Amino acid sequence: MKRVVITGLGAVSPLGADVPALIQGIEEGKSAVRYMDGWNQYTGLRSLVGAPAVIVNEKSIPRTSRRSMGRMSIFSVQAADEALADSGINREMISSGGIGCVVGSTMGSAKSLNEVFELMLPEKDLSCLPSMKFFQCVSHTAAMNVAQYLGLTGYVMATSAACASGLQAIGAGYDLIRLGKQEAMLCGGAEELHPTVTGSFDILFATSANFNHEPEKTPRPFDAKRDGLVCGEGSGILLLEEYEHAVKRKARIYAEIIGYHTCGSGVHVSQSNKDSMVGCFRYALEDAGIRPEDVDYINAHATATIHGDKEEAEAIREVFGDSVPVNSLKGYIGHTLGASGSIELIASLIMMDKGCIYPTLNLESVSHDCEGIYHVMNKLDKEIRVLFKNCFAFGGINASIVCKKII
Amino acid sequence: MTEQEIITLSNQVFEESFEIEKEKLKPEMNIFLDLGLDSLDIVDLVVALQEKFGVKIRNDDRIKNIRTLGDIYKFILSLKAEGASSSL
Repeated sequence: MKRVVITGLGAVSPLGADVPALIQGIEEGKSAVRYMDGWNQYTGLRSLVGAPAVIVNEKSIPRTSRRSMGRMSIFSVQAADEALADSGINREMISSGGIGCVVGSTMGSAKSLNEVFELMLPEKDLSCLPSMKFFQCVSHTAAMNVAQYLGLTGYVMATSAACASGLQAIGAGYDLIRLGKQEAMLCGGAEELHPTVTGSFDILFATSANFNHEPEKTPRPFDAKRDGLVCGEGSGILLLEEYEHAVKRKARIYAEIIGYHTCGSGVHVSQSNKDSMVGCFRYALEDAGIRPEDVDYINAHATATIHGDKEEAEAIREVFGDSVPVNSLKGYIGHTLGASGSIELIASLIMMDKGCIYPTLNLESVSHDCEGIYHVMNKLDKEIRVLFKNCFAFGGINASIVCKKII
Repeated sequence: MTEQEIITLSNQVFEESFEIEKEKLKPEMNIFLDLGLDSLDIVDLVVALQEKFGVKIRNDDRIKNIRTLGDIYKFILSLKAEGASSSL
């Protein structure tokens, strides 16, 4: 098996249009969650908060490339551009076939999908549909657009596993490189904020609805007053590269990916399941060839739902005990769904680089059912040699990845 | 609608839908070679012209013969002559 390292990072997030903006926002303890104007026109929508990202400089993407992109694809190509620039990889390699991409999302552009329905349904008239709506709405829209925009001729794939999509994309890229199928892969996730997206969680009572007029106080991962998730949007893209290839070109290496696992719970379509999380953790650790005590930091999925946080806390407690620091970044940027795994892994890699762990924003009083793990409630200076990142998704999908610092 | 109004509205479609500078919008311009449209853009051109002039032209075979911006002006003028839309 080949070794796989991470050599480039790019992110468009609710905290800004690049990785430095994301990290600066987290460092300053900023919440990107706000009251969403206009959402109160939707009857039955209880949660009126969200964490929107802002598209900047989209006209720098040529029209013929941009026309097939919804919001999420614009986020993705901008994040991919940043990751490539960060990596310093030779642009000639991009069209050589040596680089592919895996970019995951729950679905295609939510805004474009709604525009299609609004155009087509009143008169049931398809003749008014623009040609590009299809390309904006398909499930592989982000992967397809990143590949077309950059001229990638390697593997192009799209993982679609809701909130685990981004981490599964990184896992898929990791597998392709370690199997020797590709020398480098752009991997990550993307998603859009839209009232219909928040609504899909809201009708299941999984969203935060008690803080519509104090948006910066929600979501509250692991907190006693948590009342559900807050949807966000953006994209995180990482350049994964075969180790020898990266060393040969003297690339900056953020970390080596040493383990990954994904699995189904086989129990319930929406309820998180502690036992299957435990299984996922153990397989990922086994894949990495390490013990739980070798892990220095856990970046939790923890979206601030009542049930999900409890199950994850119990699973972490069972496998890692109470000595490994745990945080969740959802309080800063909301739940960026299919993008969360990649955006949060990027932030975790920067924490590894800086030797510190930022606190879980809005965690003020640990809920009794989330006790027994090491919650980071104030900035913690700590050398991180090994980090462990979780994502869990509707459909009973679990994913965990293990990254090790190369010294 | 006058011929000049048809030209103005047609040009607006190229500015709004295809981000083409006003200076380039001359009757002799080939919409593929000079203005850079492709087969997918033609679908959107039809949708935009339908909306702009209140006509139904999706199944009109004459669209296949359009090459220049001037061809579009003539096509819309012919629709006017046929009484294809009350807004023309």
